[in-house]
Amino acid sequence: MCFNCPVEDYCQAAMFYSAIYSILRFPLETANKGPVSTQLELCFMRTPSLSSHFILCRLIQVRWKRYAPAFLEPEVNKETLHKEPTELPEEEKKQWDFKTTRPIKAAPSSVTSSVFSDPLVSFPAFCTQTLEAIKRKQLKKYHEASEEEKVNIECNPYTIFHQALSNCKPIVELTSISRGGRFYQIPTPVKDSRQRFLAMKWLITECTENKNHRTFMHVKLSQELLLAFHGEGPVIKMKHNVHKMAESNRAYAHFRWG
Amino acid sequence: MLRGLSSAVRRGRTLYAGRSLHITARICLNGIVNQDVQIAEEKPRAIFRTSESNPANHTEQHDCQHYSIPLEEVKVIFPHGLPRRFKEQIETFKEACLMVRKPAVELFGYLKSTNFAQPAIRYVLYGESGTGKTMTLCHAVHYCAKQGWLVLHIPDAHLLVKNCKQLLQSSYKTERIDQPLQASAWLKNFRTSNEHLLREIKTQQKYTWNKWDSTEEGRPLVEMVEQGITRMKTATDVVGAVLKELKRQCSLGSFKLLVAVDGVNAFWGKTTLRKRDKTLVSPEELALVHNLRKMVMNDWSGGAIVTTICQTGSVFKPRLAYLPHELLGDEGFSALEPFVPIQVPKYSEKEFESCYQYYLDRKWLQHEKARTPDGRAELLFLSGANPAQLERLAAML
Repeated sequence: MCFNCPVEDYCQAAMFYSAIYSILRFPLETANKGPVSTQLELCFMRTPSLSSHFILCRLIQVRWKRYAPAFLEPEVNKETLHKEPTELPEEEKKQWDFKTTRPIKAAPSSVTSSVFSDPLVSFPAFCTQTLEAIKRKQLKKYHEASEEEKVNIECNPYTIFHQALSNCKPIVELTSISRGGRFYQIPTPVKDSRQRFLAMKWLITECTENKNHRTFMHVKLSQELLLAFHGEGPVIKMKHNVHKMAESNRAYAHFRWG
Repeated sequence: MLRGLSSAVRRGRTLYAGRSLHITARICLNGIVNQDVQIAEEKPRAIFRTSESNPANHTEQHDCQHYSIPLEEVKVIFPHGLPRRFKEQIETFKEACLMVRKPAVELFGYLKSTNFAQPAIRYVLYGESGTGKTMTLCHAVHYCAKQGWLVLHIPDAHLLVKNCKQLLQSSYKTERIDQPLQASAWLKNFRTSNEHLLREIKTQQKYTWNKWDSTEEGRPLVEMVEQGITRMKTATDVVGAVLKELKRQCSLGSFKLLVAVDGVNAFWGKTTLRKRDKTLVSPEELALVHNLRKMVMNDWSGGAIVTTICQTGSVFKPRLAYLPHELLGDEGFSALEPFVPIQVPKYSEKEFESCYQYYLDRKWLQHEKARTPDGRAELLFLSGANPAQLERLAAML
């Protein structure tokens, strides 16, 4: 027995019959698989006299995070949104028309159409405090420096952050491969996303572990970023160590291809 | 000269086609682009800066302009009292620049026309959180210090009613409570800012602090202040005595007194302090608050009382409250009545432009998009023209 009944009647029925002892929900494989999918909900109950059991079932709609292939990415860039569709060249007009026929994914809350948005930097207090700390140190140095030195001092915290991160990215790393029953550490190229991950991970680990308990995290992180920007510091050393290890195992590099 | 100016404006207009800029911003941007145009080069500095460093000469003509206080003066006049973020800004920029705003100019007009024979008038600066009440108060303190007034500056009255570590029972009146740490710290800063005047003012009665210490009649006040700093246990009593002396002698006319209290709403209401038996302390039981309440009364003449009411840092007050009656309560309002309320509003269009240009000049706004009109519009929208919000946003860009 399957029916869709309004929630109030359902609750009244449940209260009248009392003693719900189990509710089970099963996702259904339907054709319309998008952010909203259907589930079958089974509600097991007993009568007041506890003599018989019965099941009430209904179809309910729930949200989940996987999108069907039909869904397209949202357009967040303000400039493209302000343009009139008639002004666009032929190719882009076709794309625009195509987008009007397809469903669009919901934009994640970390993405903004702000002019200051940066994919690598989010805006909770910790990140902004780090950027502020970097800027204050550099500006202080800048205002105390002579005219010739002023040109060389970089004050933009975003350029410092990006440069420091790229300085910390390893190019090769060791991976474990089994050949002939033995495991060898062979140097492999590092993908872009993994490079970013390793650089950030090393910076964070360095700050968490080697920090005085009285120093604030954003202060320590700003120090590490400034050191990495200049090519010094423990994180750069870690990267060089990884490169050295990879260089020393160069002989096994051909194992990658069997 | 006019030809050069109009050509500068025309050139500036083409830089951002299709977007209208404020006339001052256009001229400023063109000033950065073309250094030959003499007028455009001078104009950017004239818009947001003024060379008039004496607050007595600040009029509506200097509205929205930044004036700088020499760092030596800052150390003497503001040993305490400047907001924390402003102190960090002074460290970073290597200069202390305040914006001349309408509430301050209005206040100076009132102070200049004070009749010192009449009882002291109370001025209450009020406004939403982050609009610049403390900075206006500091501007007034600078003005009075330059004029040679004796400045009694209580930086944040809320610090007296919360988080006090040592509370002692007062030896003078047993039902009152002493706060030795707060009192001695305040006396130290008070001495730094007013040393020259304190040497000239003499006590008019003998004070006995305890079995071993006393101050004779006719000794300079600075001696009494030093007594309070060295013997912390007597610090609160010393503060009370200093306030009594100043109030008594000010009416005679030998010096002018400015009582500047930040967060005067702390004197009425509740505290978060507890006595040994875990009962709550009320503000009048604190000796410091009791004496300062007397100072804020209008039963003395020869000076003025400028106060700020502040929700940030207050205890048991709703976050969005900013009006005098909301923050002072019935008790505080009737005690401070009659007062002159001066509202400190958010930045106007002109003030925002001035602040924006100042941050660009000092290289505080580093993001490349911050210089564009879109970036400026976004800053204005995100901060809501609130000075504190703008400062924090600019800090991360």
